[in-house]
Amino acid sequence: MAEHVSETDVRGIAEYARIGLTAEEVVTMTADLNAIIDSLAPITEYDLEGVEPTFHPIGDLVNVMREDVEVPGFTQAVALENAPKQEDGSFLIPSILGEGGDR
Amino acid sequence: MKTLEEVFETWEAVIGLEIHAELTTLNTKMFCGCKLEFGAEPNTHTCPVCLGLPGALPVPNRAAIESIVLAGLATNCDIEKHSMFYRKNYMYPDMAKNFQTTQGPIAFCMRGHLELDVDGPAAKERYQLDKLAPGEASGNITRTEDGYVAHVGITRIHMEEDAGKMVHIGGGEGRIAGAKESLVDYNRAGTPLIELVTEPDLRTPEEARLFMQKLRQIYLAIGISDCSMEEGSLRCDGNVSLRRRGTTAFGTKTELKNMNSFKNLHDGLAYEICRQAQVLEEGGVIYQETRHWDPSAKRTIVMRVKETADDYRLFPEPDLAPYDLSDEFIERVRAKLPELPDQKAARYGATFGLSAYDARHLVDNRATADFFDECMALVAAEADGSKFAKPLANLIINDVTAYLNAKPEVELSATPLTPARAVELIRLVAGESISSKQAKQVFAAILEEDKDPEAIVEEKGMKQVSDTGAIEAVVDEVLAANPDKVAQYRDGKTGLMGFFVGQCMKAMRGQGNPKVINDLLASKLA
Repeated sequence: MAEHVSETDVRGIAEYARIGLTAEEVVTMTADLNAIIDSLAPITEYDLEGVEPTFHPIGDLVNVMREDVEVPGFTQAVALENAPKQEDGSFLIPSILGEGGDR
Repeated sequence: MKTLEEVFETWEAVIGLEIHAELTTLNTKMFCGCKLEFGAEPNTHTCPVCLGLPGALPVPNRAAIESIVLAGLATNCDIEKHSMFYRKNYMYPDMAKNFQTTQGPIAFCMRGHLELDVDGPAAKERYQLDKLAPGEASGNITRTEDGYVAHVGITRIHMEEDAGKMVHIGGGEGRIAGAKESLVDYNRAGTPLIELVTEPDLRTPEEARLFMQKLRQIYLAIGISDCSMEEGSLRCDGNVSLRRRGTTAFGTKTELKNMNSFKNLHDGLAYEICRQAQVLEEGGVIYQETRHWDPSAKRTIVMRVKETADDYRLFPEPDLAPYDLSDEFIERVRAKLPELPDQKAARYGATFGLSAYDARHLVDNRATADFFDECMALVAAEADGSKFAKPLANLIINDVTAYLNAKPEVELSATPLTPARAVELIRLVAGESISSKQAKQVFAAILEEDKDPEAIVEEKGMKQVSDTGAIEAVVDEVLAANPDKVAQYRDGKTGLMGFFVGQCMKAMRGQGNPKVINDLLASKLA
C-alpha cells in the first residue's frame, strides 16, 4: 500500500473537522484512508485527457430552481427538539473560540 | 500618528471592497421555502435544509438568481451563463451544516465596473489632483472641472447565503472574549446574499464611501434589497494596503470589518491607512490579519490572523445542479432593469435643466426621485411646466429630505405630502400668493394637518399681500413714524433698509410681499 496521506495529514484533517483522534486512531485512520485512495487507482488507467470533471452525477440536469413561495417549516419547538440545551427559543451551545467564516 | 494628507505624501493606499447585500425583498430563503423576516422570534423560520439535517436537499430560489443577474446588469458585469455552487467548509455554529453554499471561480456576474463622480471636499483626499487639467486622465481617473471621475472595476458578484446569528453570553457586550456560552438563532441562516468584490482600484477613503453609496443607490433602484447598514442587510469589508508612491508592487493587506455606516467606512479606512504608515515608517511589518473598527475608540483592533483560502476546502456542491442560463432568461431579467440613478440624473439635467448637484441629490433616494417624477408628470402638460423643476428640487432636497431624515421610519409615499400638494405649494409661491417663508409654514402644516395648501393658506389667513396700493400705505406709515432713521439712511446708513422692511412686515403680520416692499422702500428713500 502506497502512502498517499501521512499521519500529519490525518491529524490536520481531523483538526479541520473538529474530530479528536487518539494516537492509535491516527494510525488506523491513516491506514484506512490510504486503502481508500488505493481503491481508486484503476481510474488512473484510463486516458482522461480533455475529459471534464464530473461534479454532478445527475446527467444533463441544469437550472433547477423553485419559485419564491413560502413553504411552512418547523415550529420553534420542533426546531429545538434535538438540542441538548436551549434558552429563550435559541440553541444554547458552549462557546467556541474564534470567529465564524468569511462572509 | 500622521494625518491622512501627510501619509499620502509618501504612501499610496490600495483599497478593495467586499460588499454583501441580503436580498431582503424576496419572500423566502436561498435554498428552502422558509420565510425571510428580520426581527422574528428566534428559530421560527427554519426547516431541515437551513438546519442542515441529514438528507435534506436544497433547491435555489429562482427570484434570487434573477436578482443577482439584475445586479450584474446594473453594474456593467458580464453575465456568466455557466456557473455553479460550491461548498465553503468551516466548522462554526452559525451555520448548522458546517459549510456555506457559495460560488467558485466563476460567479453569475463577472468583470463589471462603475464610474464614480468625486467632487467637492471628497476630491481633496486624492493626492496631487491639482496637477491634472480638466479632461486629463491619469491611471483610472479623469479630471473634471470640480473633481474627477474614477473608473472602479468590479471583479465579480457571486450568489451565496447568510449565516445564523449568535449571541455570546457570559462575556462583555455580546463579544466572544470571556463568553462561556452562546445562543444561536437560525432564522437568518440561508438568507439569499450577494457578495460584490471590487478590483483594488480605490485610492482614498472617500472613493470607498462614494462607491458604497453609489452601489446602495443602484441596489435600491433595482429593488433587490432594503440596504440597511444598521440592520446589517448591507455590509462592507475593506482590504487595505500601502505602497510607496511610484512603486507598483502591492504591500501586505489587512481586512477591515465592522464598518456599518458610511462614516465608519470612511473613518475606519482612514485610520487603518495612517496606522499602517506608522508601522511601516517605524520599520515594522504589516501582518495579513482581520481587524475590527471600533468607532468609539477610533482605532482598529486585531480580530484574527487570516486563514488562507485553502482552509475552506472549497469544492463543488453535488446537491445543486449547475447553471446553463439561456439568453432568454437573461433578456427577461434585462427587461426588468429600471432607469438607473445615473441615467435619471442625466435626464434631469437634459430635460429640466437641473444642475448636476441637484440631479444627484434627487436620485440619492429612490423615493424622492419617484416623487419628483410624479410631480413633474402633473405639470408636464403645462406650457412652462419645466419651470417647476428647480423649486421642486429645492423643496425635495431641503425640506422633504430634512423631514424624512428626522423621521426615518416614515415612508414619503405614506405622508400627507402628495405630489399634487407639492406642485400646488410651488404654484402658490410662484404666483406670489405666499412668500417663501410662508411656504415653509404651509409645508409643515400639510404634513401635520393633512390638508391642501390652498385650504391651509385660507385658514391661516396667510395670503401674501402683493397689492401695491395696500403696501404703499404701510410703507408710508413706517417712514412717517421713523423720521430720524429716514434721515440717517439718506446720510448713507443704508444698512437700515433691513429695519424698514422688518417694520413693514411686522405691520402686515408677515403677509406683505417682500419684493414689493423692497421696491417701494427703495424708490421712496431714493
